[in-house]
Amino acid sequence: MPIALLLLIPLAASGLTAMTRGRRAMELIHILSAVGGFVAAILLAAKVLDRGESSYWNGFLFADALSALVVLLTAFTYLACASYSMGYFRNDDVVKLRKYYILTPLLAFSMFLVTVASNLGVMWVAMEGTTLASIFLVTYYGRPTSLEAAWKYAMIGGVGLSMALFGTLLTYYAASQVLGMESLSALNWTVLAGSAARFDHTVMRLAFILILLGYGTKAGLAPMHTWKPDAYSESPIPVAALMSVAVLNSALYALARFYVLTVRCLGPSFPSQLLMLFGFLSIGIAVPFILVQRSYRRLLAYSSIDHGGIMVLALGFGGALGPLGMMLHMTFHAVTKPLLFFCAGNAQQQIGSDSLKKTPGGLLHALPVSGPMFLLATLAVTGTPPFSIFQSEFLILRAGFAAQHVGRSMVLVALLVAIFSGFFHHIAQLVLGPPNSAHGTENWGWKTYPVAALFALVLVLGFWIPAPLYSLVKGAAGLLAVQP
Amino acid sequence: MGFWQDPQFGDRMITLMAALVLVLQITMVAQRWLVTNIYVFAIQSLLLAGIANTIAYFNSAPHIYIAAGLTLLFKAILLPVILRRLVTRIGIRQEIEPFVNVPVSVIVSGLLTLLAYVVAEPLQSRPAIGAAGLGRNTLPVAIALFLIGFFMMINRRKALTQVLALLSLENGLFLAAISLTYGMPMIVELGIFFDVLVAVMILAILVFRIRETFDSMDVSRLSRLRG
Repeated sequence: MPIALLLLIPLAASGLTAMTRGRRAMELIHILSAVGGFVAAILLAAKVLDRGESSYWNGFLFADALSALVVLLTAFTYLACASYSMGYFRNDDVVKLRKYYILTPLLAFSMFLVTVASNLGVMWVAMEGTTLASIFLVTYYGRPTSLEAAWKYAMIGGVGLSMALFGTLLTYYAASQVLGMESLSALNWTVLAGSAARFDHTVMRLAFILILLGYGTKAGLAPMHTWKPDAYSESPIPVAALMSVAVLNSALYALARFYVLTVRCLGPSFPSQLLMLFGFLSIGIAVPFILVQRSYRRLLAYSSIDHGGIMVLALGFGGALGPLGMMLHMTFHAVTKPLLFFCAGNAQQQIGSDSLKKTPGGLLHALPVSGPMFLLATLAVTGTPPFSIFQSEFLILRAGFAAQHVGRSMVLVALLVAIFSGFFHHIAQLVLGPPNSAHGTENWGWKTYPVAALFALVLVLGFWIPAPLYSLVKGAAGLLAVQP
Repeated sequence: MGFWQDPQFGDRMITLMAALVLVLQITMVAQRWLVTNIYVFAIQSLLLAGIANTIAYFNSAPHIYIAAGLTLLFKAILLPVILRRLVTRIGIRQEIEPFVNVPVSVIVSGLLTLLAYVVAEPLQSRPAIGAAGLGRNTLPVAIALFLIGFFMMINRRKALTQVLALLSLENGLFLAAISLTYGMPMIVELGIFFDVLVAVMILAILVFRIRETFDSMDVSRLSRLRG
């Protein structure tokens, strides 16, 4: 039941929005859909915690702890972005807004379908759906540069997803060799997971490489990351936050599913080496671009590439701690990143530019709420204690040491420190400084409520994590800590 | 029993059509006019539908007929019509202007085809006899389509030609699916067709807007976002 609601609510919201005209009505439908989706996600998570994994609709849909966790995080981000968008788009044209309010629920629907589809082919179709739903969200502002960003996003994403489709096809081929050609369920997760050990090794090896390149493109892992800074800096803030958190999580979720199959078939060393390679590339490539960055919107995109890399690296470290670190990191990142994006959005609307070079600084005085939060969110996202991301990064380091990757763990520490210093330097220059007379003051409203609420949540999660959430995270990590 | 019911005849037909598909892909690389490119893509899709149809006929598998019909309807008719109308609408009929010149491109395509045969070698399963083995030998062609499509994407600077390259790359995937597993499960197949159709419409709108904004379709001009 919750799983059906999860899929139907955003679809219905998109359809209803297409029929309404007024701004108020669209906002109301949107926020109701986000709240409904979040409630459905909580119910689904509760059900999974209660009864374990289960299939619905003749095995078409499927939920275990991993999918329940990713669904919960997606629904949470959707809710946060929905409430923030009521303030962020306040002064925008209603015609443009309609596009946003119609397409965003479709994006949410596609992401939910990615995570609860049992058939890995349907999962691919839904993943392509996330790209299709978001292309016109990237061109929201209609600037020449947004067209450029959307074009790169569509082309690089299209090529990436075609590689993922090839990988899915090869997996299906490997399965049909074992299960027989007539088996229509040969792409269903439960069937694949049960028989992966008997798959042909050559086929699975090629399939995993293609899947890693394909869904890695969607997750924005280096060197397929080039669309990301453009798309994130050109799209409206709520869209960028959704892509940076929820789309990233969905892509990593798909990758994790194939990782499990590959480990069952080939053993952990082959996929782990590849994941570590792409993880380090992503974190490493973020460093120079963060250090010399000129725009804080692009800075956030590189931070997202960096965090995608950290999560993939954690999965590559493996053992019992690696997947746990990855899942915790995914959870904490999903709470912290929207906060950072919303602060950046408020700053951009206040000073009218996303340049780091031209701003005089002193945002602290102009934005009494978002200004200081921006600085604190920067500290949180770069993994400074007491914020929660510090804990997950620490756990990932422990996983690295536990897996005897001492040298690699040291490199990771060095890269994280470099990213921290670059990021903090830029945002501190933007936020701190003497008051600037040109700036106004910030009022409480839908632009600041989500910021305050998210900050409270980030702070709380640094010290205390609710027991059901933690058991969900542990359940998800347990599914990824596979033995061949 | 007529000769058209003999699986060996089917096998020859499929080999012939697959060879033509590959030739058409290299034609797409070699020839210089955008509109011709769209027609070549349409014929290539038609041949793919033919291959799928032949396999469906000899295996009496209804779901492959559906895939063949959808390919015929969407890729051989609907998408070329959409793209053709887009070309008329934005009033361009010029040359394709690849980055690498035509002779070198053709040599690269040849090398990619060789590479495809090398890659496909370990994936070929034991050769099945009779109807069940039909189309197995098209896998290298499918991989070659994929790789050459990839090369065309990088090699072209006009937005619309990149869309065509993406579509021919997708044709390679379709052929691979037919050759390896006789198509994906029906629901996945339908989903893929839906996605491709929506993607082409979205890309057509984007191409149109890029043309309006930049007064050109040259994507190498899309270079303001850096760093």
